[in-house]
Amino acid sequence: MSAGLEARLRGILAERYHDRHPFNLRLHGGDCEPDEVRRWVRNRYYYQTRIPIKDGVILTKSEDRAFRRGWIRRIHDHDGDDRNQGGLELWLQLAVACGLDRDETASLRQVLPGVRRACDSYVTFVESHDLLESVASSLTELAAGAYLGHRAEAFRKYYDWIAEDGLDYFLSRTHQAPRDAEEGLAFVLEHADTTEREERCVAALEKKCSILWQLLDGVEWGGRRPQLANGVRLRTGDEPMVVSPERAIRIGGSGASILEACDGSRCVDEVAVSVREAFPDAPNGLESDVYAFIEEMERAHVLELPE
Amino acid sequence: MNAPRPLNLVAELTYRCPLQCPYCSNPLQLGAVREALDADDWARVFREAAALGVVHVGLTGGEPSARSDLPEIVAGAEAAGLYSHLVTAAVPLDPDGLAVLAERGLCSVQISLQDADAEHSDRIAGTRSFDRKQVLAAATKKLGLPLTLNVVLHRHNLDRTREIIRLARALDADRLELANAQYQGWALLNRAALLPTRSQLDHAAGVVREECAESDRPEILFVLPDYFRDRPKPCMAGWAQQHIVVAPNGLALPCHGAAELPGLEFWNVQEHALAECWSDSPGMNAYRGEDWMPEPCRSCDARKQDFGGCRCQAFALTGDASATDPACGLSPHHAAIEEAVAAPKEDVFRFRFPGNAAD
Repeated sequence: MSAGLEARLRGILAERYHDRHPFNLRLHGGDCEPDEVRRWVRNRYYYQTRIPIKDGVILTKSEDRAFRRGWIRRIHDHDGDDRNQGGLELWLQLAVACGLDRDETASLRQVLPGVRRACDSYVTFVESHDLLESVASSLTELAAGAYLGHRAEAFRKYYDWIAEDGLDYFLSRTHQAPRDAEEGLAFVLEHADTTEREERCVAALEKKCSILWQLLDGVEWGGRRPQLANGVRLRTGDEPMVVSPERAIRIGGSGASILEACDGSRCVDEVAVSVREAFPDAPNGLESDVYAFIEEMERAHVLELPE
Repeated sequence: MNAPRPLNLVAELTYRCPLQCPYCSNPLQLGAVREALDADDWARVFREAAALGVVHVGLTGGEPSARSDLPEIVAGAEAAGLYSHLVTAAVPLDPDGLAVLAERGLCSVQISLQDADAEHSDRIAGTRSFDRKQVLAAATKKLGLPLTLNVVLHRHNLDRTREIIRLARALDADRLELANAQYQGWALLNRAALLPTRSQLDHAAGVVREECAESDRPEILFVLPDYFRDRPKPCMAGWAQQHIVVAPNGLALPCHGAAELPGLEFWNVQEHALAECWSDSPGMNAYRGEDWMPEPCRSCDARKQDFGGCRCQAFALTGDASATDPACGLSPHHAAIEEAVAAPKEDVFRFRFPGNAAD
């Protein structure tokens, strides 16, 4: 309804879109090590998997056949159909081009907990908000088209160890995102016809920006190197525990092996890999358990993870 | 008796101390307690404690660094696999001495402060010590050891709670214990001079909340004193449940003050294995569990949280160590607490030094 709203929405993106996140600055500046690029690709895949689910929820919110016919295209864009293989497939292609294992990536088992929470909170947001707010939250697409174009250039320039076909996802989105964004924006501007609705649209886009931001925080956490906090001692043996002033926490034997691996030389990802190597046949949830334990120990000030 | 597993050993290495704080937790009969255990004896006590399941050992006193064999004692704790925590007033210990202790395996350090500045702190300590405490705190951090600062709070320093917290932050302390004085022993003797007002405590509690909101360092422990809570403190997490105190003379006790309770027989680690002292001595079993409890404790749901409160306080205020702690609003003797809180305040301290002691 108002030109003021569009300016506000674009203003939010100018200030809070994740292009300004330190990780993305490094990624686009060519400063990431191959392992960091792989960590990002592996984790961001979880976000990709949430998009069609989120869009499915949005479909259920509309009584308008025309709206649904338009919006369902987004699901096809990601899941693929008779004519195109879809964004999820292209992302796995990127994973393989980076040297990641396709099935391992698709299993999602190495997805870091902060990333998982951020992505899940996007679906939860859409589930718990109305159609207008849900569409407004998708308007990060307004910034995505151009940004993904830059990303493809940066990857060609700085990460030439990634095969060219790995970039197909970014290139496909440079066309899709602006189209999706214009449609979404038109919907929002038409339906945000009161001040109260405008405010809710603004809040929804801010929330979405913070979700993307937290996703990258979660990726960076996986690269940090946990070590026992100052003054904490690990007691192994019959009754493993961590001891610090005034406190002793009993941990299981597997907790003790995780903490032994947290010697400041391995990042969170590598700790999980070392546990996986010790228990190759453990179920898919093993990595999540390791991450959850490290997070718990971080909250309890048993581990510190210097940035 | 099926004794519970102790987790913490309080090793009172000596009652000697260059400070004279008027709220000292040592017994009033200081001089009667001989230092009977040498470093080898302590090493044996530490090994026996570890075998019982003890995890932490607090090396305390008096002032533990008054003992010249402290490095050997620390080494004994390390050899036993205990997490050793030094509780010191920073006199006579200096940074070089602390470095030696760290080398021998000392795990963490607690330094007492009496107030937020030298003038007030030294007045309560009765000794010039504030500046040394700053130096030893810095040395602790430099050695990479966790630093706890402990400040006993009372009427004369509660109004500087904010300054105390800021000081702890400036010293980069990991933990700050804002320990409201517990009115036993020397503190009971000086109660009229130490007891704060309710409004002082409320104000200090508000300051703690504000400062905690500002920063999560240091971790701050602040508990309202039992005199102002209507419910007793869960003293020592229950009599002879988790903590063993071994006094300088070798007596194994359930708390710092238990030796002053009449009619209780505690055993000495020179004559018995620590496990026997813990599980079988009549004194340890006197108030262990719930069988000893009178009403209103016996049928009270809160007994699982407060364990009936403090036996020493019950004895000091009622003459009967098995009475319900008068700090409890349900105690028939609760008026003793209310009267003390309402009583006129004094400003004269009886400082802790042998000449003032009760023996």
